[in-house]
Amino acid sequence: MNSAIRTIGILCFVLAAGCAGVQEAPPSVMAGPLIVDPSLDVPKPDRSVATVPLRSEAIQTDVAVAPPPAEPHQTAMTGDEVIGNEPVAGAPAPPAKTPGAAKAVLPPARTPAKVSASPKPVEQSRKNEDPPPPARKLEPPLDVAALKARLRDTNAIGVFTKLALKNQVDDLLQQFRAHYLSGQKTSVASLRQPYDMLVLKVLALVQDSDPPLARTIAGSREAIWGILADPEKFNSAT
Amino acid sequence: MITRTRASVLIFSLAAIVAAPSPAADDPALLKDLTAVIMLLGLPCSQVVNAKRQADNDHIASCKDGNRYRIFVNTAGRVVAQKQ
Repeated sequence: MNSAIRTIGILCFVLAAGCAGVQEAPPSVMAGPLIVDPSLDVPKPDRSVATVPLRSEAIQTDVAVAPPPAEPHQTAMTGDEVIGNEPVAGAPAPPAKTPGAAKAVLPPARTPAKVSASPKPVEQSRKNEDPPPPARKLEPPLDVAALKARLRDTNAIGVFTKLALKNQVDDLLQQFRAHYLSGQKTSVASLRQPYDMLVLKVLALVQDSDPPLARTIAGSREAIWGILADPEKFNSAT
Repeated sequence: MITRTRASVLIFSLAAIVAAPSPAADDPALLKDLTAVIMLLGLPCSQVVNAKRQADNDHIASCKDGNRYRIFVNTAGRVVAQKQ
């Protein structure tokens, strides 16, 4: 009884192993016969007669069914010349003299890969030839009031962030005001670093959610600094 | 039997109410806003993962790295982040 069960089990295992071993051929292997298959269509003489003048049956059939070659001189080759050549990437499969020989001259599995790889440079060159995107509209540089208004109106940052940002902008403006009121003759270069830091913070906040505003602010950086660094412009702007 | 059924219904109802997250705690815009505020104020916080509303403009923010801050608007109109 046990031996019968064991035998049945072994048979089931062998059967399952056999089923598991059957796999589909990889696509590269499948693609090979697709190229050469027309050469095996010898028994259809009317097709070759219709397309190519007769020389010998096998050659005519191959030439008739094969896709048009890339260069015109290849069409003028005889069967011998074609067989002697190496397969060219992107060119059709070499013709065979007889149907039996066609199987022997099956192209290796890498040939279809070469054929499929040939359109890539064409696509790349097309991409390179694409016209450049239209130039973005250059917005005029912002002043301090416009910058405040843009930051107030944007949805890229929340209410808390806007309020905190307003506090920091006001703090910086207060530093400039204090500097000018103190009557110091030194330049405002010492305030350049806090100004740059604040601009960077603003850019970090809006660059993901509102890229146009970030670009405008980045483009207005020097213009705003020009206003802040000039006492007359500063007084008129604030 | 009826008493047991009523009790279980009550327990499930309470559990559902308690388990339901508050809308503010899961609002990604608020979490992002609080994260930005903390970053703007120069305090360490990788990302705010939870926020508990205490009052208007007053939240307790819990960061991913374990830091907790009370973020509120003071009487002077300034946004303040107090480490808890």
